[in-house]
Amino acid sequence: MRVLIIEDEARIARRLERMATNFFEQNSEIAICDSVDKGLAYIENNAIDLLLLDLNLNGESGFDLLESVVSKSFHSIIVSAYTDKAIKAFEYGVLDFVPKPFDEIRLGQAFKRITNTIKTTDEPLKFLAVKKAGNIKLIDIDDLLYIKGAGIYSELYLKNGNRELHDKSLETLAQLLPSSYERIHKSYLVSLSLAEKIVIEPGSKYSLLLKNGELLPIGRSRYGELKGKMG
Amino acid sequence: MGDDLAWAKKDFDDANWAEERGKTGKNIFWVRTKINLSKKPVGQLGLKIEAFGAFEVYWDGVLIGENGKIVSSKAEIPGNSSSYYSVPDSLAQLGDHVVALRASQAYSQNIQRGVGVGLSSYESLLQVPLIVTSFMNLMAGAFLIAAIYYLFLYINSRIRQRTVLIFAIICFLFFALLILEYIKFYVEIPYTRFFLRLEFIGWITFALSVLVPLYFSIQFKFKWKKILLSLLIITLVTIYILNFGHYDITAIYYSLVMWGFSLIVVFYAIYQKERGAIIVLTGLLLRVIINYYLFYDLSLFISFCLVVLCMLYLHTMQMKVIEEEYQRSLLLSSKLQLELIKKNIQPHFIKNTLTSLIDWVEESPKEGTAFIQALADEFDIINDIAEQVLIPVRQEIELCKKHISVMQFRKEINYQWEENGIDENELIPPAIFHTILENGITHSSPLVDGSMKFKLSFSAIGEYKQYDFETFGKNRIKIKPRDGGNGFVYVKARLTESYSNNWAFASKESENGWLTTIKIYK
Repeated sequence: MRVLIIEDEARIARRLERMATNFFEQNSEIAICDSVDKGLAYIENNAIDLLLLDLNLNGESGFDLLESVVSKSFHSIIVSAYTDKAIKAFEYGVLDFVPKPFDEIRLGQAFKRITNTIKTTDEPLKFLAVKKAGNIKLIDIDDLLYIKGAGIYSELYLKNGNRELHDKSLETLAQLLPSSYERIHKSYLVSLSLAEKIVIEPGSKYSLLLKNGELLPIGRSRYGELKGKMG
Repeated sequence: MGDDLAWAKKDFDDANWAEERGKTGKNIFWVRTKINLSKKPVGQLGLKIEAFGAFEVYWDGVLIGENGKIVSSKAEIPGNSSSYYSVPDSLAQLGDHVVALRASQAYSQNIQRGVGVGLSSYESLLQVPLIVTSFMNLMAGAFLIAAIYYLFLYINSRIRQRTVLIFAIICFLFFALLILEYIKFYVEIPYTRFFLRLEFIGWITFALSVLVPLYFSIQFKFKWKKILLSLLIITLVTIYILNFGHYDITAIYYSLVMWGFSLIVVFYAIYQKERGAIIVLTGLLLRVIINYYLFYDLSLFISFCLVVLCMLYLHTMQMKVIEEEYQRSLLLSSKLQLELIKKNIQPHFIKNTLTSLIDWVEESPKEGTAFIQALADEFDIINDIAEQVLIPVRQEIELCKKHISVMQFRKEINYQWEENGIDENELIPPAIFHTILENGITHSSPLVDGSMKFKLSFSAIGEYKQYDFETFGKNRIKIKPRDGGNGFVYVKARLTESYSNNWAFASKESENGWLTTIKIYK
């Protein structure tokens, strides 16, 4: 697990480092940056799996940074003194918000969410941030029709017919999206609120008919569970 | 000149009498005048005579009264300058009549004052002046109260304003003017004292004509006050010299000059968009209308009254501004107090401190205890200074040092403190260097050897005292431009609170890192 800690308080950074090392044990590789610009430079040049981010760095708001990091492939966990910012952070699509002061147990819970495929809480994710022509664009998840996996990336299919590419994998996005989103196929993630009915085609091929008339394939192994949920 | 009762008769031929009195000395002389009664008044006929000296009044040869007492070949007992007589019904037929005065004027001999004679109903002759007087005195009373009120206000206010005192004096002078003008109707003034009253009225009008434009020029922050005032006084003195002895005309000219100079100031004020200028202009212009419709005396007083009302309005408006400013300053002070207390409980400080503290306690309880002690010390000082507006500079330095030791535990940077030329007797607003120190810790990163130094220097050079707060470190690269933020707003507000505008604040990059300079002017 490659972890980057962006934190300007040396003592707290070392505490995070120690706890991450304890949690991920041998397979951990941890770096610390004490400012926004150093952190961004590190992300540009190094691949990471997890970012631990403070929201107030040397007097600068971490929210500008947040917009750009949530569009990346890795998960972000906010470690901040400003608990009132938690909801906003979740709306942007962070995995967890750990308020300061924290102990090893609370931080451990956040770490566990990375490996946990079952959603434990329903956080109010509102936007998906995508990189487009060097800028960050926020996409309201209400505009989302379904998501199709494309290797290490995901393709967002929007209600207006547009398509956007997201750096996070389908697995990573599934952890962030509200629980109404269901993995109906190894390559498809869709909100059941947009589904009309299950269509059975000849040769026991199952498809999901969306309210807009589009048909999406249903994985054979996922049919039973989905049928239960559709009622 | 001479004395013959026959001269009182109606049909006596006085064609060859002189128009002027001539040199009569202490002797008795006679004055005759024809008068026409064209309409019989309701009730008793009355006669009003305005003349100097003492005299007996004959109506068609019949004695109807006397004013003062004539004493043969000696100085008389002076009569009043205005006197009233009732004419018996039997003598009050329509048509021509002769009023003859048997008079003497031993005093003020060189004053050749004409004799004024008027007819009306006896009742109204006595009543009308008293009614006018009662209204004027009512007005005078209001101004007396205003004068006393504003005088007390001036004496008891925190900030003594010249305009308040000037206004009190104007109100008092106006009160005196009204009283003096109408005192003639109810206090007997022998003709010998007649000019004394006019003299007083003249000087009061003079003073008012200086003070009113002066008041407006202060109130409206007129730029060329001294020039205006000298021109005004020169004009008034010129009027006094040119019209010496003509009391009424002098007073009219005075008031016109006052009006004109006030107009200049008010136009300037309108140009400068001063509050209330339009209202005052309206008040001043109303005078033109009043002048047109009313005769001299009354119009002068009513227009004066309007001017004073304008001033009163301006004044209450200014009081409102002062009151609001005071409220604002109180509000600012309590806001600053709150901000000072908030410094150490705002989440960024307290949560980060507590997180570091937990870590220290878990890792090294001994160090953790020292950390807690440093934090407690910083809180103690904050608590001590929280309600102060100025604190000894030493206390401020102690606060900075405590903050440094707390931050040392958090940031694990070797912070150093240095000072130079500190005067222990100096006072400064609380937590201003503390704020600058916080900024330094936040926005600078340590030098290569992991250390960072702060240096506070003091110097008193002639006109001002100067504090230099220098941060020795590397300045962090900013994503957004650095404007000092809330911290500098706090510092500046504190400086304003204690030194109003007599300070200067500068914060900029320096050779060694960052330099903040505060100058306090004497």
